[in-house]
Amino acid sequence: MNNLTTNNTIAYIMAGRRQRSRRYWGVTTVLAVISLLLCFLMLYFGNTIYSIDKIARVLGGEQIKGATFAIHTIRLPRMLAGLFAGFAFGVAGHIFQTMLRNPLANPNVLGITTGSSAAAVYCIVILHTSEAVVSVVSVAAGLVTVTLLYLLSRRRAFSIGRLILVGIGLDAMLSSVITYLLQKSASQDVPAAFRWLSGSLNGSKLEELPPLVITVLVLAPIILLLGKHLSLLELGEQSASSLGIHTDRTRIALILCSVCMIAMATATTGPIAFVSFLAGPIARRLVGVGHTNIIPAGLVGVILVLAADLIGQFAFETRFPVGVITGILGAPYLIFLLIRMNRKGDF
Amino acid sequence: MKPTHQFLAEDTVAGYEHKTIIHGVSLSIPSNKISVIIGANACGKSTLLKTMARLIKPESGKITLDGKPIDKFAPKPLAKVLGLLPQSPIVPEGISVSDLIGRGRFPHQSWLGGWTKKDYEAVAEAMEIMKITELANRNIDELSGGQRQRVWIAMALAQQTDILFLDEPTTFLDITYQVEILDLLTDLNRKHGTTIVMVLHDINLSARYADYIFALREGKLLAEGEPSEVITSELIKDVFGLDSTVISDPVSGSPLIVPIGRHHVVK
Repeated sequence: MNNLTTNNTIAYIMAGRRQRSRRYWGVTTVLAVISLLLCFLMLYFGNTIYSIDKIARVLGGEQIKGATFAIHTIRLPRMLAGLFAGFAFGVAGHIFQTMLRNPLANPNVLGITTGSSAAAVYCIVILHTSEAVVSVVSVAAGLVTVTLLYLLSRRRAFSIGRLILVGIGLDAMLSSVITYLLQKSASQDVPAAFRWLSGSLNGSKLEELPPLVITVLVLAPIILLLGKHLSLLELGEQSASSLGIHTDRTRIALILCSVCMIAMATATTGPIAFVSFLAGPIARRLVGVGHTNIIPAGLVGVILVLAADLIGQFAFETRFPVGVITGILGAPYLIFLLIRMNRKGDF
Repeated sequence: MKPTHQFLAEDTVAGYEHKTIIHGVSLSIPSNKISVIIGANACGKSTLLKTMARLIKPESGKITLDGKPIDKFAPKPLAKVLGLLPQSPIVPEGISVSDLIGRGRFPHQSWLGGWTKKDYEAVAEAMEIMKITELANRNIDELSGGQRQRVWIAMALAQQTDILFLDEPTTFLDITYQVEILDLLTDLNRKHGTTIVMVLHDINLSARYADYIFALREGKLLAEGEPSEVITSELIKDVFGLDSTVISDPVSGSPLIVPIGRHHVVK
């Protein structure tokens, strides 16, 4: 082999990779800056607008009449819930979509989120359990839904089209369970349970956040560690396996991490419609392929949730919960994908 | 040159959930040579290849690499010795050629780190062997079928294994590209000593490019040996159920099968 030409080839490959990497980091930085900006706006906007200086002092622990209450009790929990739930939805959705190689294959569309919600509503309105129990049960219900989905769609050969159809069916069924439970429940429980129907950051409390925050802080790094494995799974079972990964173990680890994150986020904010569904494809559009895109997908999730919440709070006469806004954004995209998939004959 | 390896299958029985496809195959893969598995559709060629690559767990029998059962290897060490190019690999939409080929480096990389000098060298060399260096930064979606296939093989080459399995690497390609791919694989074998085992559809190209032939029928090994020894009209009748005359290929001197159908036969 001629060494000179090899060096030229290497230089050529390096140049391309450097360019793609620059785009990746550029886009990721911009997304991070926008996320931070939105976090700030979440603290800034409200019935009263406080100066930046005041906000900083309140966050520093200073007691300021009015501001401390508004920020510590209302705006900060709301912002943190949106931040962590958005990240969790974005990352988990992206993992599913990448692993199953289809944007429709997503916890939101497949009924996994709804499974968590249904279990949570059951705990709240029928069993009247504590918040902690609700979290645990909703994570467990998410995992049960995934298992059910897998078993129902397996029949001989695995098909992604069947998985999606079964998932949409499960989702509809579980939604009706939620509606039924709400009808049966005592009226005083309804407001608490209602947020399980459409995700909302209203009434987020600081003391309810640690489970979600801890879950994200622990599981997101594990998912990042599995990034390379994820990019091999994307090449299909046979390639992945012959390149030297335990495909089953990797898939189970990724599903466990994603479902835990998404169920925990759902337990905290309710199912914020379509965030997990939209974040991955948007990130991919912005960054391009070749990178694992886990962080950009998470950041897009954050941006979607926080921006939608700000719009829901301040853009209209009536205040809408965040899930209503993301639902309006996501539904057309879902329909578009279903039509495209149908045209390609994937069903 | 790549080291020699002993790859053995003994009484291998394998298949899918309720259907056994391979009924007791024993074979030894000639090291540093090109072997081709031939046989009619659904005779178990691919299944055999996949079983030997550990993608399918055999129901019984033993498959060993250098005396060690392949299911005793951890995935990464095995992936450094044995690579497989599946029949229809899945392309992630929009990925660039060099990034895709780079994924073949996985068994040589750590969990987190980026590309090392060795990774760049391996990817560059694989692209040079496959003559696709100018495609490095192109998007894979823009490539033709023949180019894509070369990219896939380059990915398997970047893995730098001593043994390479290819499941129908020339299917869906024009004849020009088929010959080109087989020439490139022969270069690889002659220059680097890579042991190649592939499933091919075209019996005449198999006879020309193979050093060694395994002929399968209904999941059993019917014949094996050098093409000039095993390719006879009797074998073709047994394997494919086809009447034929075997002549000497005027270009390569290897056996050339001329099929005899019901029409167009000079009395």
